[in-house]
Amino acid sequence: MKKLVGYITTGFPDRYFTIDLAMAMAEAGVDTLELGMPFSDPVADGPVIEKANLQALNSGFKLDHLFEASAKIAPHIDTLWMGYFNPFYHKGMDNFIAKAKETGVNGFIIPDLPLEEAKPYKPSIEAAGLSLIDFIAPTDTKERIKEIVTDAKKFIYLVAYAGITGAGKSEDLQPIIANIKKYSDTPVYVGFGVNTHTAKDKAEGVDGVIVGSAFVKVLLDDTLNNMQKISKISSIAREIKEKINI
Amino acid sequence: MNKNLYIPTPSPYDPDKNGHFGKYGGRFVPETLMPALEQLRLDYEAVRFDEGYWSEVDYYYKHFVGRPSALYYASNISKEIGAKVYLKREDLNHTGAHKINHCVAQAVLAKRLGRKKIIAETGAGQHGVATATVAALFGLECEVFMGAKDIARQELNVFRMKLLGAKVHSVESGSKTLKDAMNDAIRHWVTHTRDTYYLIGTVAGPHPYPMMVRDIQSIIGWEAKTQLQEAEGSLPDKVIACIGGGSNALGIFSHFLQDQSVECIGIEAGGLGLDSKHGCSLTKGSPGVLHGQLSYLLQDEDGQVQEAHSISAGLDYPGIGPEHSYLKDKGVVSYDYITDDAAMEAFVWLSQKEGIIPAFESSHAIAYLKKMKDIKDTIILVNLSGRGDKDMMQAKDILKDQFI
Repeated sequence: MKKLVGYITTGFPDRYFTIDLAMAMAEAGVDTLELGMPFSDPVADGPVIEKANLQALNSGFKLDHLFEASAKIAPHIDTLWMGYFNPFYHKGMDNFIAKAKETGVNGFIIPDLPLEEAKPYKPSIEAAGLSLIDFIAPTDTKERIKEIVTDAKKFIYLVAYAGITGAGKSEDLQPIIANIKKYSDTPVYVGFGVNTHTAKDKAEGVDGVIVGSAFVKVLLDDTLNNMQKISKISSIAREIKEKINI
Repeated sequence: MNKNLYIPTPSPYDPDKNGHFGKYGGRFVPETLMPALEQLRLDYEAVRFDEGYWSEVDYYYKHFVGRPSALYYASNISKEIGAKVYLKREDLNHTGAHKINHCVAQAVLAKRLGRKKIIAETGAGQHGVATATVAALFGLECEVFMGAKDIARQELNVFRMKLLGAKVHSVESGSKTLKDAMNDAIRHWVTHTRDTYYLIGTVAGPHPYPMMVRDIQSIIGWEAKTQLQEAEGSLPDKVIACIGGGSNALGIFSHFLQDQSVECIGIEAGGLGLDSKHGCSLTKGSPGVLHGQLSYLLQDEDGQVQEAHSISAGLDYPGIGPEHSYLKDKGVVSYDYITDDAAMEAFVWLSQKEGIIPAFESSHAIAYLKKMKDIKDTIILVNLSGRGDKDMMQAKDILKDQFI
């Protein structure tokens, strides 16, 4: 069965909602939850996730809210923190490792921390039994793919196209997938631009998909109340899970 | 080798191969960009000390930019403050600032690499105008990202860029200034990394940009050192430059960093004062990661980047080039600040005493001449990094009561 990883922006529209939403997503078949840490300058993200990040910050999001929400969510679903590197650096990676252990979070996804810069941190993260997810981009050379995936743990985050999250782009990933599989048995999940329309195609040849903007778009929809948002996101999750496993 | 040809030399402050100046610098970018940055590192290393490349750049410096830029003894203000003040006249360059130096050199590189499209971020618009200018010169397609707030306060530069054939994107997110313009330029580059050269406009961003732009801009100090030798037969006692990202400062400092008797001082934007809104990342910030680099950064207790403030769009940036952070920690360069008000006073002072209207950015360096103590009979070299033409609309508004 192919896996579904779901990203949501923590604290948006508010932190209590995040907990309810996470529980509903777990029930709807989401296998792993990426709890997004809102950041002031999310350069890998498109306008949808950027907007949710900035609105969460404007309405008072603090890292403590992430930790509180995680303690409630992580016992029910495999949970990762997805965030830009500066808060990790500023608070200290050791602090984040300790908080993850305390709340039951299983690892980190940090899109602006490539292999070379991750080196000082990866050993202590893994020694604590946590994972730091590795990215592969369609621009990567064979040599670089080999270097990155050889030690990859949990899953490999394959970026579906050169671009930012939520763009309507696609690239032929089969040669890259073949390259990854040559050097690693770690599951490969594809992310960026995955929604109910694209999920089936994007899931071809990989072990799972990562969905972000398609969920966050619903969070940003002012015409829906919180109950409606949760039920719509749940139904999108169910539909995608079904489509990738046909 | 031709001794009149500027070619960078290895510096004791060069970063390692991953771009680290001590703990600073590096490449904190999405994986998609890593291959492009690694390739650019190799491409730049191939030309870094190459006479053919720098000869080509030099041709445009001489005939297009107007280099070497003059070193001017500012006799009137010298008399007033009792020190000998020399101004390195980067304001006389084509397009009005030092930015054209790294634009010409990077465009020559982009052309050699076969790139047809260039993008840039801009604050005051000086780097955007300089990028649009070299794009026209070399027949490259050009897109410039500029914060909506800066577009409003620098509308003449926006028009200039468009006139030169560039497309200008108004960036509406965040603080709507240079920081956000750079976010969007990075987003565009992630999407078009395969065919687009990102022409970064300062000594910041992921490796190799901080080192490459510093190498290029160091022609300023290289020229000034010889020019001052001819004028005074000695080294300066102090070298002063304003700092946003820090390119004009490293440009003039680099060739003096190993001279023990010379004190290099970088001037940050004090904005409304250090207890209020400002752009003093070195004085008031702490190490953090933004725009692909680890460096001093204005941030809150959660590591969220804070908005900077300066009257000058070119200094309105919460970060700073990583080499500056390294030089600060090592105590090689000292750093201080000048407020908006003091900069505006200096803007008027230099205009009326010397007949030179400085850019708001450079006015911060000029203002420091009055803030310094114990400078009697010293020789002070100031980098006059840009001219004030671009600031006329804003100046007219601010100073309307003073000059009716």
